[in-house]
Amino acid sequence: MSRIGAIALAAAVVAALVLPHFLKGYGIYLISMWAVLSIAALGLNLTLGYAGQVSLAQGAFVGIGAYTVSLLLQAGWPFPIAFVAAAIVCFAVGWGLGYPALRVQHHYLAFVTLAFNTLIFLVLRNEEWLTHGIYGISGIMRPVLLGWSTAKPLAFYYFCFGMMTLVAAGLWWMIRSPWGRAFVALRENPIRALSLGLDTRRYTLMAFAIGSSLGGIAGALYAPLVQFIEPNSFALAMSFNLLLMVIVGGSGYFFGPFLGALIAVLLPEWLRVTEGYYLIVYAAAIMAMMVVCPTGLFGLVERAARALRTKRAPPAAAPALQTDRTRP
Amino acid sequence: MTPVLEVSNLRKSFGGITAVAGVSFEVREGEILGIIGPNGSGKSTLFNCVLGQLTPTEGEVRIDGKPTTGMRPCDLNRLGVSRTFQLLQVFPQLSVRDNLILAGQEHQGTMASRLFGAADAGLGDAAAQMIDFFRLAHVADEPAGSLSYGQQKLLDAAMAFMAGPRLVLLDEPAGGVNLTMLANLRERLQAYHSERKATFVVIEHQMEFVMALCTRVLVLAEGRIIAEGPPQEIRKDPVVIEAYLGH
Repeated sequence: MSRIGAIALAAAVVAALVLPHFLKGYGIYLISMWAVLSIAALGLNLTLGYAGQVSLAQGAFVGIGAYTVSLLLQAGWPFPIAFVAAAIVCFAVGWGLGYPALRVQHHYLAFVTLAFNTLIFLVLRNEEWLTHGIYGISGIMRPVLLGWSTAKPLAFYYFCFGMMTLVAAGLWWMIRSPWGRAFVALRENPIRALSLGLDTRRYTLMAFAIGSSLGGIAGALYAPLVQFIEPNSFALAMSFNLLLMVIVGGSGYFFGPFLGALIAVLLPEWLRVTEGYYLIVYAAAIMAMMVVCPTGLFGLVERAARALRTKRAPPAAAPALQTDRTRP
Repeated sequence: MTPVLEVSNLRKSFGGITAVAGVSFEVREGEILGIIGPNGSGKSTLFNCVLGQLTPTEGEVRIDGKPTTGMRPCDLNRLGVSRTFQLLQVFPQLSVRDNLILAGQEHQGTMASRLFGAADAGLGDAAAQMIDFFRLAHVADEPAGSLSYGQQKLLDAAMAFMAGPRLVLLDEPAGGVNLTMLANLRERLQAYHSERKATFVVIEHQMEFVMALCTRVLVLAEGRIIAEGPPQEIRKDPVVIEAYLGH
């Protein structure tokens, strides 16, 4: 990471730790939502951005995580165990959803995952004996961890932020490990990867399973944050919203999802001054952003950084591009 | 001595079209076997059957005497069989160094050690050596996609060698490479061959390249072997001339 990048990151962390003290209840709720959805978007960025597996089902995994935690809490399980269970359930279901990806890719895979999301939504809505159907589950308690109550909004925000940091650190490690290299290889050229000894089947399933389990972790925080869950929250709209966060932030850029989630959570709120028009303005803003920077905001940042560098360094810096290019 | 690669009576049909019609040959340790033939003679199909990318309709492939027919490419690769592709196959967004480490990382350790171990999988030095050997040091940390075509070809070959394979199959290594880079590539392949005692099979159109590099040549036409021998003889063989010029 460059020095400017490190300074920007440090400033962002300080802001995320200090600013909430100046916010009221709803503001704290919103940034908690940002932290929670960032985790889900980080997971989708692993599956889609790094490993190149299109998934329109991340919202369903947030739902599975949220329902798993809520039902286990209702059954009297302690929060930490329910939390881990949510991650494990989503890992297993995500592994299963990875199998179609071994056969179909791109928009076909998008449709498979889209159908899966609808399926999960229908299960949540119709299996009332388990999920209470459209009435949802209310009164979800925020946990007390080692004597520290997270019931107050600010405390729960710090809990979410801490979990987000842990997840991000783990993911950072993974992306820099040989696994990260293998995921990118899977995205860029699976046939070549296979011929270099990569078990592409196993890595594809892993990419799905880990990405999904992060969705589950986000869900396990979403339920105690909102304290009420119902099937509609985890319908396709949630998946599209998470996809939007990844794309707007910059798919395949590590910090993209944080920025994307910030925009997707805050922009609609800021646009409320336009009253009835806010969704229209929001949609138009997203479209404009996609036209200007199809590689997302971090793509834009990278482009600007490269432009600056070439301006500073004389053209001799890029000899590789000029020699013997002869295409067959 | 058991041949490194043994192909017996290999056949591959796609529907009614027979691309490879019963091909048998052996590759002995340390040789550079060239496979030439006109377009559509079944060279690439043969390669893909040997390498597990396609499942042959009939016949058998053995590596060091061990049957490998129908084995997955990744398992074959870990047995020490490596390849390059006809069209460029580097990972454009990874750096040259990462391309090389990737090419070696799956040959050691476990899934767990690749997650929790060193970021370079302990291959940093090996990658650096390969970078020097193929003279890519000045672009080592550039994304592979920003390299020139010839440099990418070198990298592609280097990746095939990264895991120290027993057998390397090169699919048209000279395709689309200019003459200077071609001489460079051939010289590097020869150097690698003599240094490591590796065994090569090369599919190629560029006759000069084959004649200079290979120790033995097979000629394929319409899915069958029509001639075999040292390069000088093949060049004069009337059957071969007929196959090339008669189309």
